[in-house]
Amino acid sequence: MSQPSATEERLEHLKHYFIDSDQQFEASKMGMWVFLVTEILFFGGLFLAYIVYRAWYPELYLLASEELHTFWGAVNTVVLIGSSLTVAMAIRSAQLNQIKGLIINLWITIGLACVFMVIKYFEYAEKFGKGILPGGYYTYDGIEHEQANIFFSIYYMMTGLHGIHVLVGIGLMLWLVYKAKKKVFHSGYYTPVEITGLYWHLVDIIWIFLFPLLYLID
Amino acid sequence: MSGHHISSAKFLWGVALALFVLTFITVAVTWIQIPEPWNIVVAIAIAVVKALIVVAFFMNLWWDTKFNVLLFIMSIAFFLLLIGITLLDTLYRVDPVPSF
Repeated sequence: MSQPSATEERLEHLKHYFIDSDQQFEASKMGMWVFLVTEILFFGGLFLAYIVYRAWYPELYLLASEELHTFWGAVNTVVLIGSSLTVAMAIRSAQLNQIKGLIINLWITIGLACVFMVIKYFEYAEKFGKGILPGGYYTYDGIEHEQANIFFSIYYMMTGLHGIHVLVGIGLMLWLVYKAKKKVFHSGYYTPVEITGLYWHLVDIIWIFLFPLLYLID
Repeated sequence: MSGHHISSAKFLWGVALALFVLTFITVAVTWIQIPEPWNIVVAIAIAVVKALIVVAFFMNLWWDTKFNVLLFIMSIAFFLLLIGITLLDTLYRVDPVPSF
């Protein structure tokens, strides 16, 4: 077993069962990719439900999506892509030992994630007010289709699960800010930042598909 | 050192700009009414390109180990398998699930 070289500083993060920081980093990153595979298949089930019902009721999707506001969907897409950029910048800051930049970029990301959730809140509130609720609670009569509630059940499940992921992401990034302020991260150890970044980018990718599939079909 | 690729700030901004432009294009193509099956094809194609840009250059899979690339490809492969096999059932039913 090789000893850490004398030139390497601050190795308190290194677990004894890893040879060096790089091996530990690669193992963590691989573990995260395995988790992301399960996430893709997790959301995959919902995308499948979307596809099956769209094949059955193509006209329903065209009618029902008119209730969704393309403008706000597009704004949220831009907000999430912007937050992906700031997460990537946060990782870059950590790699370059710029802890101040890391914290600033994390705060901007948290801010953008909150903007996303606030817009989503107003979209939901507007629909709830009209009686557009999932499944059996659906009471809106503005859509000329017997199965109009199915589209919105799928809409609420997909955007709701995505929203939960955004909330979890906000929590993770607050934790990263806390850790960064305690000077835990430096260019030799920023694994949690990298891993959270991978998670956040996946949440962005899910929305990249949700936006055209739900909002852009009229 | 595959895991420690450091992108320049300029590069990251370029990636984000490409994603913003593609977002605009995907909205803009709905203004010119493309006939039925092709509007879906175009929307999905643009989303796939955007997703691949994020995966390759934000998630750094471009510079990552082959094993992580394989994990990602397998997840997509199994997702497509899930869709394909399910549609073989649901597309050919005479009567969809009653009351659904």
